[in-house]
Amino acid sequence: MAAFEPVLLQRLNKPECKTLEGYRADGGYRTLTRALKEMSPDQVTTVVKDAGLRGRGGAGFPTGLKWTFLPKGNSGPVYLCVNCDESEPCTFNNRYLIECDPHQVLEGIILASYAIRARVAYFYVRYEYGTGTRTMQRAIDELYAAGLLGKNILGTDFSLDVFVHRGAAAYICGEETGLIESLEGRRAWPRIKPPFPAIEGAFRKPTIVNNPETLANVVHIVERGGEWFKSLGVPPDPKNPRDAGSYGSKLYCISGHVNRPGIIELPMGVTLRELLEVHGGGVWKGRKAKGAIPGGNSMGICTEPEFDIPLDFNGPGKVGCLGLGTAAVTVFDETTSIVDVLHNICRFFAHESCGQCTPCREGTAWMLKIVERIKRGQGRLEDLSILEEVADKIGIMPGTTICGLADGAGWPVKTAIRKYRDEFKAYLREGTPKGGTSSGMRLSMAAGH
Amino acid sequence: MATVYVNDKAVDIGDERLNCIQAAERAGVTIPHYCWHAALSVVASCRMCLVEVGERKVDEKGQVAIAMQPKVVPGCQTPVKDGMVIRTADAKAKDAQERTLESILLNHPLDCPVCDKAGECLLQDFSFQFGKAESRMVDEKNTPPNKPDLGPNVGLFTDRCIMCSRCVRFTREVSGTAELHVVNRGSHSEIDVFEGHPLANKLATNVVDLCPVGALSSKDFLYSQRVWNLKTVNSVCSGCSTGCSILVDSNKDIVYRLRPRFNPRAQGHFMCDEGRLGYHHVNDSARLGQYLVRGEQGTKAVEWAQAAGLCREKLAAEASKDPGRVWFVFSPSMTVEEAWLLANFAQKLSPFVKLVMGPVGVVGEDDTYPKDRKGRPVQPVKFTIRAEKAANLRGVQGILNHFQKDRATYQQFLAAAKSGQVDACLIAAGQSPQVYKPSVEEGDALSAVRFVAVQQMFSSPLTDRAHLVIPASAFSEIEGTLVNHAGLAQATKAACAPSRGLRTDGQFFLELLERKGLVHAANLRKEIAKAVPAFKPLEVGDLGEYGVFCEKLKEQS
Amino acid sequence: MSQHHGPKPVSPHAAKVPAGPLPAEIREKIVELLGRYPSKQAVTLPALHLTQDRLRCVPPWAVVEIADLLDLSPAEVHDTLSFYGFFRPATDPLGKKRLWICRSLACALRGADQILDEAAHKLGVEVGGTTADGAITLELAECIGACEGAPACMVDDEHFHHIDQDGVLDKLVGELRQA
Repeated sequence: MAAFEPVLLQRLNKPECKTLEGYRADGGYRTLTRALKEMSPDQVTTVVKDAGLRGRGGAGFPTGLKWTFLPKGNSGPVYLCVNCDESEPCTFNNRYLIECDPHQVLEGIILASYAIRARVAYFYVRYEYGTGTRTMQRAIDELYAAGLLGKNILGTDFSLDVFVHRGAAAYICGEETGLIESLEGRRAWPRIKPPFPAIEGAFRKPTIVNNPETLANVVHIVERGGEWFKSLGVPPDPKNPRDAGSYGSKLYCISGHVNRPGIIELPMGVTLRELLEVHGGGVWKGRKAKGAIPGGNSMGICTEPEFDIPLDFNGPGKVGCLGLGTAAVTVFDETTSIVDVLHNICRFFAHESCGQCTPCREGTAWMLKIVERIKRGQGRLEDLSILEEVADKIGIMPGTTICGLADGAGWPVKTAIRKYRDEFKAYLREGTPKGGTSSGMRLSMAAGH
Repeated sequence: MATVYVNDKAVDIGDERLNCIQAAERAGVTIPHYCWHAALSVVASCRMCLVEVGERKVDEKGQVAIAMQPKVVPGCQTPVKDGMVIRTADAKAKDAQERTLESILLNHPLDCPVCDKAGECLLQDFSFQFGKAESRMVDEKNTPPNKPDLGPNVGLFTDRCIMCSRCVRFTREVSGTAELHVVNRGSHSEIDVFEGHPLANKLATNVVDLCPVGALSSKDFLYSQRVWNLKTVNSVCSGCSTGCSILVDSNKDIVYRLRPRFNPRAQGHFMCDEGRLGYHHVNDSARLGQYLVRGEQGTKAVEWAQAAGLCREKLAAEASKDPGRVWFVFSPSMTVEEAWLLANFAQKLSPFVKLVMGPVGVVGEDDTYPKDRKGRPVQPVKFTIRAEKAANLRGVQGILNHFQKDRATYQQFLAAAKSGQVDACLIAAGQSPQVYKPSVEEGDALSAVRFVAVQQMFSSPLTDRAHLVIPASAFSEIEGTLVNHAGLAQATKAACAPSRGLRTDGQFFLELLERKGLVHAANLRKEIAKAVPAFKPLEVGDLGEYGVFCEKLKEQS
Repeated sequence: MSQHHGPKPVSPHAAKVPAGPLPAEIREKIVELLGRYPSKQAVTLPALHLTQDRLRCVPPWAVVEIADLLDLSPAEVHDTLSFYGFFRPATDPLGKKRLWICRSLACALRGADQILDEAAHKLGVEVGGTTADGAITLELAECIGACEGAPACMVDDEHFHHIDQDGVLDKLVGELRQA
């Protein structure tokens, strides 16, 4: 099979394109120029909608459709919030985009702002991406100097400000209304919906929140058209009228016990096994895989026999995972204790739960306490049932919480216990992890355990 | 006209805009909830009110089809519409309720035996009604340290807090002072104040009422009484002319606590701290406890009937000589009924006796809330502490205007007394010392008056001058009608009996009139309504939970 | 302010934290940022960053000053501040550099918890603590997005990969101590 020619990562090895001059020389901003001069905002939206682009932040909501939710004829102002909070563990694709090709992201931001009639775009970036933040700010400064941001861009009557807004290390700021609350200067407690951000978002005005990878895709869709975009990826399942397809390419992150951790851009739908074996160099140290997370912590765990699922919007769901998520694959080998993996994940969610609503605030803390007790050798069989039940009942899927962090907290617990029940039971009986801890996941005493 | 079906019971909610909790209430069904409150913004964070909702459709053939939504939804954030079906006790809702309660109790200390809130605690109540009998929690509970000095009047038992955030929203949205906030994140979240900025606004203690559990505590009430030993009556605060509806909690004739009572016609949901804590004078041992007659032979205590008889005789004697030199000073805090009875007595003596409104305490300006963050009042106003510290100015005015429209002022009375133009006076129903303290000059002004009868709760320069000292009733000992700034007439009920040997002010006035029977406010209202046009709305006798408006009383001077 | 299980020990570095008010250029920057947002409260996070970048913590007097600039109550500013765990109190300011070691899944699978332990031991601090010379504060981080270089860490806001490799962490710490 011929190697896929990267679209989003095409300038990965062209550092000269980080400057405006270099990006333009490479053909950049031609799409924006044409769009501003020849297309109306609604035409841009239509192109993106017809292309079937789905959000790359984790929820996979159809992007163009989301843009149409803005109230027609609203008096504004309309805001674009770029969600570069990217805190889902094992995920780093947006980091690559902003560090290596800032102007691609910016061209997408400006195009999207034009389409939704925004005059201000807030680039919300997690604090931990210092290098990428400074790269983006330099690029933004270049654009203002060149008349591609600010008043009357390229001599049209479209004006746009892009402001960088740094986060402060809280995962929940990646939830779109958590981001909005954080942007507005409050604790990042996600808002109850309705109203949704398109109706009442930032500063209670119509707002669209989009992921940087999604916005980078917008440039290429406007440039090459929806047909091209749909030639990549996976069309909808004809048996499922609700399936919006998995078109386009995706940045896949590979990490964990693999020989070649890294980022790779491939058409949607590569299987986890192919991603691991072909692109990730296979499991390290000549070992076999025990399991993997297919799309960041929140999606839950796949066993090795389940690695043949396609990594598109439908695949992981077929093996009981929450979904594709951020398409960040982390593999753990056969020497890893599933108890350690689950403990690490539960610790993360308990730490990051915003604390606003009862099921998540208390549930994530309780699940962690139980898993810690199991790790200490004081677990009981009924603890597994309690964990499963709690995990099943917290989240926006059953309707018990305000946001999806709880679903993300529950899915790894459910999938780990259901798919590795024997290993859990053995641990409860024997009190030691099967196969030792050579994977190095011993608890940090210094961190208070 | 919209119909909503709550647990298969149809309830007509008219054209009101309600959420599921409110609609269910109309159907007599309780949807348990913590964070929602009618006076605060909706956050839907406690998740206690999760219910199942759906839609009831009737097709052309008359077949009823009910389609329920697959997920539970918070009742507080779900507006109801015609045809909506709400199920609060089916499997999903019940499971959600049990889980929410189990979750809340995971870190909640088993403090009931030492917690003030026991007996009026929504966590106890809902656990009993909607929870499971056992918890599966075997791990250690979080134990954040308590904050006994959140503010001068409020303490916080941090570990009991269920993070409903009502208190934080109150200080941000109602008082506007924004002293309370949440610190930390996740299950380590706590309520706190910022160091050096305690919870000290004038409405602060309302957060104790808002707190569904025993986390926030009123320092005034802490550990003083078990609530099931308290008797509760509806009453009205007499601190200012806002006339907040309140509840008086007492045990064995001792008042232990005042709480606001919701009244959409009066003040809404809350009351100010000054009013809330303004009952201590009631229990004060310094209160006058005997009817005293002062003469050349010295001072002696007499029985109440004797005191009333003496009062009647003396005043009648003076009035028969020269009624224009007999003065009756009315308190702006006495009830409508008391004013009516006293005025009747005065009139009976002679239409030429002088009726005067006593001093009306005014402190500062009307204090409206919320404030902005710089302390300036903003619109819309949600609560007002009024400068006029009188419980019934308009009510008493209404009575006085009926008998004597042209009246002297209290200052003029004092001047007249000083210049020897007063032979006898009865200064009635003194106000609580919080509201008004008579000065030495006022007492001195009475030195030449032949017969001074003073009815007050505490010794003062006035009682020092009195030939007859009549112990006055406290607000908690009387039943009657008080009219607030807006002309709303509300009923107070007695929580306590007066001290042994004493009678209420109204009873004393009945005795002056030589009328038989006890003070029966409802009957007296009908009597007053018949006689005084401005009080016609009082003809209902029973003023109900919220009181009745007397428009004419609002406009008078 | 809230305390956990008794008063938190005051770090010896607390003495270095200056008294108020905020330096003029920081105030100016905060006021300048007001123009970017339709609400003053939105400048809270940028103001906190500006303050901590300069003072290595956000002292109570700074909270009051920021609140005053943004028409908020000090509690509202502190509400936001304390949510993030990122901002340090004046009783325990950051050292010159913050070294935070990621402990999320990809890094933990490659020994992050052990590395954190060893770092704490080598620096002679607990996680969250600052070295005696005030050079380095050691903290844990949740996924910093450097997973292809796991195990990874950050110094302030810059990534460092493969800190399990021989000498990498030692070298980094050495450089931080000299700075």
